[in-house]
Amino acid sequence: MNTNEPNALVVEKISTAYDKANVLENVSLTAAPGKITCLLGSNGSGKTTLIRSILGLTPPNKGVIRFRGLDLRGLPTHRVIAAGIACIPEGRRVFAKFSVEENLRMGAYQETSDAEVRERLVRVYTAFPRLSERRTQLAGTLSGGEQAMVSIGRGLMRAPKLLLVDEPSLGLAPILVQENFNIIRRIREQGITIFLVEQNVHQTLAISDYGYVLSKGRVVAEGKPADLSKTKEVHEAYFG
Amino acid sequence: MDFGLFAQHTMNGLMLGMMYALVAVGFTLFFGVLDVIKFSHGDVLTVGAFTALATFVGLKSMGVASTTVELLAMLIAAIGAMAVLGAVIAKAFVLPLRAAPALNTLLITLMLGTVLREAVRLFYPDGANPKPFPRLLPAESVSIGNFNLRLDNTIMLAAGVLVIVGLQLMLNRTKLGLAIRAVAQDEETAKTMGVNFSAIVLITFAIGSALAAFAGLMNGLYYNEINFGIGLYLGVVGFSAAIIGGLGSIYGAILGGFMFAALQTIGAVALPFASAYKDVFAFAVVIVLMAWRPTGLIPEKLSERV
Repeated sequence: MNTNEPNALVVEKISTAYDKANVLENVSLTAAPGKITCLLGSNGSGKTTLIRSILGLTPPNKGVIRFRGLDLRGLPTHRVIAAGIACIPEGRRVFAKFSVEENLRMGAYQETSDAEVRERLVRVYTAFPRLSERRTQLAGTLSGGEQAMVSIGRGLMRAPKLLLVDEPSLGLAPILVQENFNIIRRIREQGITIFLVEQNVHQTLAISDYGYVLSKGRVVAEGKPADLSKTKEVHEAYFG
Repeated sequence: MDFGLFAQHTMNGLMLGMMYALVAVGFTLFFGVLDVIKFSHGDVLTVGAFTALATFVGLKSMGVASTTVELLAMLIAAIGAMAVLGAVIAKAFVLPLRAAPALNTLLITLMLGTVLREAVRLFYPDGANPKPFPRLLPAESVSIGNFNLRLDNTIMLAAGVLVIVGLQLMLNRTKLGLAIRAVAQDEETAKTMGVNFSAIVLITFAIGSALAAFAGLMNGLYYNEINFGIGLYLGVVGFSAAIIGGLGSIYGAILGGFMFAALQTIGAVALPFASAYKDVFAFAVVIVLMAWRPTGLIPEKLSERV
């Protein structure tokens, strides 16, 4: 893909290690603005590590990460977020002891205008009426599906330019998985760039504009969804 | 026991409990945001008390006579200086050790506490001996039977309640409080929401240390004497109080502080041995409590790890 697009998320030749062993090796990819770009890969292929690298939670030891022209590598996580990025983390990671509304407010933590925060709350509650009903309930007492809504709503509260989504379907019932993918598609319609990391090949490719396949810490294939679904790398990455 | 004596002991217990609770809250805050035990906390209290005393001596030598001015200046100097000291300790000794085992933090702050304590002993003029602490609050009292309700103690108790209520409001009603609680629950997700983790840690250590300074000043005003060892004792008691309350829980720390004071008071008054054994009794009960409820009375963080 075109890596010269100024508003894209560009990851160039990054390697990331926990302790000494490299989990990611020389990974390059681009998430084009306003599109859904997906990263497919089986368990342990390094997908979550890539998200953590972008966020600065596990900084890469070499390579370049750029978003809207800003060099993100080496920045502490809150500065990465300040670049207009939000994350819907793997496993939802809601604050169990916070109410639904406190969770949502955490999503807009860097927004200083209270009026703006209230406006975003209204938008999220309109999109998820269920959360509005439960706004004072502790998030830890919600069902898995409701927690997924909190996690997504929290990401939207950031009003991000780029949304990183890590395995939204993990641990959810099939009907909720489908619902989640529909939501992600609707988020893209708001012009938000989405980088989606998933194991679930078919549903992910169905909503993506472009995809990459990660296997053992390396990008082994990329292309348009229609082409990607036919490649042997996709099958090998999962079954090989 | 007649009412007067009972009320007197209760008042004394409440004063002690307030000091213990203020120290325990610090331990629990630090553990909340960073999962570390900072053993220099008690000695920060000592330095705070001596900062207040030095401020008083300084003002006296400058000819300031107003007790209100003196008291305010001591409060501001002790709280301000200890807030800075707490943040510096976090920045220099605690945050850099994040990747190391928690035991290292415990050890390094234990040594740091010794350095602070010894520095007071060696460098404060005649610091090895107990220093008289000025009586600055109005000392009027009301007698109800045998009970002598002193105005200064009432003021200190009320101030302590205000501080704790203020802390609660800050934690529960402000954005800073939201961030502190978020970091305490899930550091990584808090970062992902855009919270400046290091800044929140430094602020939390500043707040906890300011509370210790407040407790140190209270200690001085209550006993009218301080020495370089007060923090060591109050640190151990505050730590025990935080543990029996359930480390990580603010309410638990407060409860633990007052409970420890209650045990001491009972040990000194109601039990058939000399009052010198009050600490033996109180700590013995703490040990039993810990064996019975290893995660504390109001378990917060430890239970989540199971």
